[in-house]
Amino acid sequence: MSAILEIFAAIPYDQVLIQTVNGIVTGMILALVASGLTLIFGIMDVVNFAHGELFMLGAYIGVVVLATTGSFWLALLIATLIVALLGAALQIVTLRPLLGRDPLTTILATFGVSLVLQNYALWQFGPVARKIQEPITGSFQLLYLEYPWYRLLIAALSAAIIGALWLFLKFGTWGIWIRAATQDRVMAQAMGIPVPWVHTGVFAIGAGMAAASGVLFGPLVGVTHAMGLDWVLKAFIVVVVGGMGNLGGSIAAAVFISLLEAYASIWVSPAQAVIVSFVVLILTLLIRPTGLFVPTPK
Amino acid sequence: MANDLNDQDSSYEFWRSGKVTRRRLVGWGAGVLGATILAPAPWRAAFGQAKPYKIGTIQPLSGPGAVGGKTALIGVQMAADRINKSGGINGRPVELVVADDESKPDVGRRKAQKLVDDDKIDVQVGGFLSNICLACMPVWEEARIVNIISVCLDTTLTTSKCNRYSFRPSDYAPAQAVAFAPYLVNQMGKKWHIVFADYAWGQSTRDAYVAQIRKAGGEVVGATGIPLGTADMTPFLSKISGNFDGLLGVFATDGVTVGNQVYDLGLTRKYKWAGDGAIAESTNLPALGNKIEGFVGINRYLPVLEGPLDTPAHRKFLEEASVRLKKIDPTGPLPDRYVQSNYESMNALKLGMEKSGFRGREDTMKLIEALEGLEMKEGDDFPQGDKVLRKEDHQAFVREFIFEIRGGRHRIVETVAKEKTLFPPACKFPAA
Repeated sequence: MSAILEIFAAIPYDQVLIQTVNGIVTGMILALVASGLTLIFGIMDVVNFAHGELFMLGAYIGVVVLATTGSFWLALLIATLIVALLGAALQIVTLRPLLGRDPLTTILATFGVSLVLQNYALWQFGPVARKIQEPITGSFQLLYLEYPWYRLLIAALSAAIIGALWLFLKFGTWGIWIRAATQDRVMAQAMGIPVPWVHTGVFAIGAGMAAASGVLFGPLVGVTHAMGLDWVLKAFIVVVVGGMGNLGGSIAAAVFISLLEAYASIWVSPAQAVIVSFVVLILTLLIRPTGLFVPTPK
Repeated sequence: MANDLNDQDSSYEFWRSGKVTRRRLVGWGAGVLGATILAPAPWRAAFGQAKPYKIGTIQPLSGPGAVGGKTALIGVQMAADRINKSGGINGRPVELVVADDESKPDVGRRKAQKLVDDDKIDVQVGGFLSNICLACMPVWEEARIVNIISVCLDTTLTTSKCNRYSFRPSDYAPAQAVAFAPYLVNQMGKKWHIVFADYAWGQSTRDAYVAQIRKAGGEVVGATGIPLGTADMTPFLSKISGNFDGLLGVFATDGVTVGNQVYDLGLTRKYKWAGDGAIAESTNLPALGNKIEGFVGINRYLPVLEGPLDTPAHRKFLEEASVRLKKIDPTGPLPDRYVQSNYESMNALKLGMEKSGFRGREDTMKLIEALEGLEMKEGDDFPQGDKVLRKEDHQAFVREFIFEIRGGRHRIVETVAKEKTLFPPACKFPAA
């Protein structure tokens, strides 16, 4: 009994609280990035390697709109819409012609697009990092830390955007078409659903969500051509663990993995805590390759 | 119209008169080519004088390091253009062969090998990320090519991993620590926590500061390493707490991220905030805004015209570099230390090549001897100030500037003479 009490006494509760908040906030940002990625995979079977560059492009467009209008919210909205349109154009030009071909070709195509976009950003905007001013400043005392309100706002906005997407998929006409195309592409087409346009729409939505996350995350890091790299690597892990193409699973996996990493970082260095994500990824692939958060088929 | 007809006529004459046929033209071409190949040796030597020196430069022009690599390249190009305008080196022009290491050590090493084997470079000036400099060092050594390290600050490059072929005409971590530690301990606080970029340069800089802060009478109570390229540093930074006076940051390409997030979590209000000047590099200031106010740093170069940097040579350098930077970045940033050290490294090489009468790779040993102990005098070639390349380890010592960010600008707080940055050599060259 005393040993158990000693273990409980040894837990640094201040760290547990701080890391819980960190884990949830990071998880929600990650969920927003991963939801676009998983949506595109679920409908189109396309692993979008350009997702990080769409994230970065959204942030750059946010910088330009913010400088012009002075409104963060307008920057968020316009960047999302522009990158969604760009996503639609990219899908029509690069991915639609590859429909039905070996999935490797789409991987190569999106990888090519990622290189083009990254170098375009470097050429167009230059190497100097840009700033997106956060819409709210200030912080609250979280034990020994001053925790910025803006981080909580990002988590709330990510939840709101994902919630809106869920409502759209559940009740919107296009949402129903998207779900139908996910379940059975051929049958959906036979029923008169314009599947090629559904694909275009899905890619646009995924691109728009990447752009929104780029604008939201911009104030924390500064906007550079390489800002999407770190997030997209994690988002890929989340998508696999959550179940490729499973939106709810990806959100759950994002929060789950972020919390696991956050708790692990209490006892080990956060750099080593990242190993936890990879362990979960490997275990998922070994034990439940369809994803941890996918319901077992009956 | 008449002219056109005349032209047509003369063209017709030329091709159809029977004097010049396609067959004859090919024959003459072959003859000229053969004569060039078979020309006697003295002629070849005479033509060889006009042959440009091929100078390779490896920089991170894509990937996360491109933020600094792009400005670094400006420095090399600026020096090369200036050299060519003033008649070249030993009467021969300079041709830059640029290679992009993509911010990856394996790619860097492959590109270095390509510069050696395919591009047949005479020397190399460049290197930005220390892990890439370390990966490429054996390539230069094996090919017996002089390698002028222009940015990489990792300590081991001129200590435990030094070799006869590599030179660093700028500063390195121990020299910065020797220069900065007394100020940190005497002016800012005794107890420090170091937060650093967790790779070769960051680790060696951490070690240097631990030693020098202790030597100055202070104490390092903790250190937090953050992997290169980490976008969200909050899990790392939120673990930093306790009783100490100051937080010392050692970051370069992630300077904006750490600057923003350290401020957001209130650490800059709780502790004194100091660190490597790369955090507050001129190219980072726009993205940091007022979050970097009050930061105290050390740097070998600042883009300000005040104190010892208020010289005509520096003004000229600053103006020309600013014009060039504006061409690659519409915000028009001021030059950073990467522009400066690449510019000066190229000029150091020029001095060495002139002194040794360098002709090509066959004269590498002569060039090495000329560079060992090379003295560089403040002026148009070296606007940062005087420097000497120490013979024992091929490491230069330069004056350092301790600065504070006030009103969004660098203000020099103290200038540390190069003699006060000296650190004993710890290099034993491998036998050739």
